Amino acid sequence: MSTIVALSTPPGRGAIAVVRLSGPDALSITKQLAVDLDNVKARRATLSKINLPGTQETLDEVLITFFKAPDSATGEDVIEISCHGSPVIVREILDLTVSMGARLAAPGEFTLRALTNRKINLVQAEAIRDLIAAQTEAAVKQAARQIGGELSHTITSLEEELIGVIVLLESAVEFVEDDLPAAELGSVKATLTSVQKGIGDLADSYSSGRLLQSGIKVAIIGSPNVGKSSLFNRLVSRDRAIVTDVPGTTRDTLSETIDLEGVPVFLTDTAGLRDTTDTIESLGIERTQRAIVDADLVLEVIDASDAVGEQVSRDRDASSIRVLNKCDLAVANRFVSEKDSVRISALTGEGIESLRTAILAFLHRGDVDNEGLLVTNARHYDLLKTASYELGNAISALNDELSEELILVSLHNALKFLGQITGETTTEDILSQVFATFCIGK
Amino acid sequence: MSFDESFDVIVIGAGHAGCEAASAAARLGSSTALVTLNLDLVGQMSCNPAIGGIAKGHLVREIDALGGIMGRVIDRTGIQFRLLNRSRGPAVQSPRAQADRMLYRSEMRRVLEATANLALRQGKVVDLVIHNGEVVGIDLEDGRRFGAAAIVIATGTFLNGLIHTGRRTYSGGRTGEPAATELAESLKRLGFPIGRLKTGTPPRLDGRTIDWDRFEPQPGDVEPIPFSFATDRIEQRQIKCYVGYTTSGLHDVIRANLSESPLYSGKIKGIGPRYCPSIEDKVVKFSDKSRHQLFLEPEGHDTNEVYLNGFSTSLPAELQQDLIRMIPGLDEARIIRPGYAIEYDFVDPRELGPDLQTRRVRGLFHAGQINGTTGYEEAACQGLMAGINAGMFVQGRSPFRLLRKEAYTGVLIEDLITQGVDEPYRIFTSRAEYRLALRYDNADERLEKYGRDIGLVGDSDWDRFNARQDRLAELRQALETTRFRRSEAKHAALQAQLQTDLGDVISLAQLAKRPGVTPDFVCRLLPVSVQANLCAPDLETALADNLYEGYLRSQETAIERLYQHDSLRIPNQLGFRALSGLSNEIVERLERVRPSTFGEARRIPGMTPGSLSTLLVHLSAHQKSV
Repeated sequence: MSTIVALSTPPGRGAIAVVRLSGPDALSITKQLAVDLDNVKARRATLSKINLPGTQETLDEVLITFFKAPDSATGEDVIEISCHGSPVIVREILDLTVSMGARLAAPGEFTLRALTNRKINLVQAEAIRDLIAAQTEAAVKQAARQIGGELSHTITSLEEELIGVIVLLESAVEFVEDDLPAAELGSVKATLTSVQKGIGDLADSYSSGRLLQSGIKVAIIGSPNVGKSSLFNRLVSRDRAIVTDVPGTTRDTLSETIDLEGVPVFLTDTAGLRDTTDTIESLGIERTQRAIVDADLVLEVIDASDAVGEQVSRDRDASSIRVLNKCDLAVANRFVSEKDSVRISALTGEGIESLRTAILAFLHRGDVDNEGLLVTNARHYDLLKTASYELGNAISALNDELSEELILVSLHNALKFLGQITGETTTEDILSQVFATFCIGK
Repeated sequence: MSFDESFDVIVIGAGHAGCEAASAAARLGSSTALVTLNLDLVGQMSCNPAIGGIAKGHLVREIDALGGIMGRVIDRTGIQFRLLNRSRGPAVQSPRAQADRMLYRSEMRRVLEATANLALRQGKVVDLVIHNGEVVGIDLEDGRRFGAAAIVIATGTFLNGLIHTGRRTYSGGRTGEPAATELAESLKRLGFPIGRLKTGTPPRLDGRTIDWDRFEPQPGDVEPIPFSFATDRIEQRQIKCYVGYTTSGLHDVIRANLSESPLYSGKIKGIGPRYCPSIEDKVVKFSDKSRHQLFLEPEGHDTNEVYLNGFSTSLPAELQQDLIRMIPGLDEARIIRPGYAIEYDFVDPRELGPDLQTRRVRGLFHAGQINGTTGYEEAACQGLMAGINAGMFVQGRSPFRLLRKEAYTGVLIEDLITQGVDEPYRIFTSRAEYRLALRYDNADERLEKYGRDIGLVGDSDWDRFNARQDRLAELRQALETTRFRRSEAKHAALQAQLQTDLGDVISLAQLAKRPGVTPDFVCRLLPVSVQANLCAPDLETALADNLYEGYLRSQETAIERLYQHDSLRIPNQLGFRALSGLSNEIVERLERVRPSTFGEARRIPGMTPGSLSTLLVHLSAHQKSV
């Protein structure tokens, strides 16, 4: 039996949120996740902390309650993690548990387990039956209802291409005595690669879709002493970070969640990037690099008054905003004619509104570029990722020139995962297409 | 009630289903009668004189492992053997053989005659004798009445058969033989839902009138692989088949004469199989193809008859003769028997339980084409299962069934009884979710123990099976424990040979999975003591398990994730109507099929997510209370 995880409180922001795990590995996963749980006792709340992976940095302080099987809501080992009610934190905790082997629960799955273990009776379960039905049906139709069917249309057309390949390979296996055209491996590979990319793009659009629900991660980066911490303080509206004129003051990353027109933004101040021999500072810089990788959006801060100094500059990409700080001072010649950057003064507050607007514009960009393609359901994301993984397996099997039946294992798996979103393709459907495509039969 | 003769089990029809059913029931110790219209045509191949093929060959191997007879009979009478899909993986390879049609028939008759407890009776069954909802006997046209506690109907295309050639139609079960019309009426009176299917067969030619040199010869395998695990070698002299093609000119003539075809004039109402289309269908539906492949298959050593595979047709006989002559190499060919189409009755297989017994009439079993299938192998595996279960039934033993993950036979029967059929049902490997595990080479490992428990596998077969199991165990162990370390000279030699890095240590099992590593290569690396005992089929089986192991696991994970509730059992007494929240239509579907697991219910066409979740909630509640 697998261990399942889900957010048990309503989505969105609240004072607290409860993430619940149920299954044989609930306790061991939680012990990997949170610190100091050696003495956790059943039915007692234990105060603990969850650290960001690979760091000592605290993501959140949480209360952990352990219910030992069979004395739990589902009859299995259950862990309830009460954390602060920020969508960013919840998302991080869910991601962490999944990376440790839990699986996102299917609709109604906690209740079904409770029912199986006689924790609730049929009458109680009847009440949730409609909920499961509604959600299962919704899983098939959600896209159509929410976003005009574009998602399901996109997945369906990818699915059709995939089925085309399956039909080709199945026919080669089943009808060896028939006079069929040989499957052209190059074109099969090209099709699978493009289907995988299409599915990957959809999964990626989930990242943007998720932004609106759960908030985004924004990292402030730049050379030392360009005013990153001042900007951070300005954005969080209080003196959270220590600000001095000594370059390299910020030695550790520092995070705060702020509200930008209702969208939660998880803002991280980082150590300035420069070559250093200071051990502590270089540890901080390492952490900055990780923050950059994790960030959905990077604010790249430049000292506009600096006429000669070397400024850290990354390749410009869609996920960064270039911020010219210290515009209250004389702007150096090399920056005077620069476009595509936001000019601010963290000191005076000048331009901060423009920066907020630029961050919000990034948030909504997904809507503009991929209108209607935002996958908002975490389960869909999971299924798309899994399907894409299976397609990757199929492509490498193809590259290794393995026999069709092996390639088909991954292709059928991928199709089944997509089918959870759009509705199942049966063997009969595939056979029908085989007979419609090829003249089969002696 | 008085009977002229009484038996435990009566089997009606001596085709491929009937022969297996009668043999199995008799060998289970039940006194059994096999009743057929013509005892000289026992085990007759009505259509293609061949057995096996992809997935079908798997079925024959399963029949053999369970103790059935088809594999042994074809091994003694096959005149061309080929293992199909040799270039692909072991799971989709399958044996196929051309039979000498007459030899097959006489060998089948000999095997049946040599079976204890089995009586052969010739006669036409006109009615079933029913008492209190149970079948108790049969009435024959000649006035005899036989009694039995269990009856297996295996009437093939004979059930209300109607033969079409051009505009001519006549009643018949096969060309030259009468149809079973009264029995069809009898089933209708009992209330069985009956449908109509269609199949067809091509003309048979006089081999002396064929210009063989203009066809491409297709030889069999140099070393034929037998169907039966008990067969050491094939003794029959082997022959060649030949491949040829139709022409676009011939297609034009067919298109111009479609009004002569009962298929296109609307005379035929029954549904034919899409994977076995007539030449008319091929020409109409795939009009862009300029030629269609044909096979010339000699029907035996002592006959001139040649089966023109790929040219199934119901066009008028004289037109068939004209068309044949348009085929390059058949310019002078003469038809011995024209092709024809046949329509016949079938009974909705959703009437059956997993033991192939009807729910409507106790003691009555259906097997083969009456259930909507096509193919000798599909018929034979049902015959075997029906015969076993009829025997079990009269002896008061529990029914025997196979699961989808155990056997193609299990896939086929579950599909039939849960999905019903819209067209003649043929087995395909893609119908089996567990294709990689259900291989022809491991049918014995999957099923022989069942055959033994049932009582169909005799001592010598059981000893042979166990000896192979021992050899396999030794071989598997050797693959795991033979390791090559970087410190050893052999490791370097292997790396040089395979031109790849093998890591610090690699087992022979891991090495065998590498592309380009052949069974021969593996064989040479085995310890000498293991090599001494080795035979090729054992190595194939061990290597196939090794090759597929990881894939089976990934598939298992996916299936567990998506269909984790499939194995939930549905209690026999569960009243679907009593479950609140199910629509009448869904209740009817469930009641017709009576699925025994949630997985079977899920696969019933037309089930909605809502109804499935209702069912799931109820089953989950029921699970631990029983």
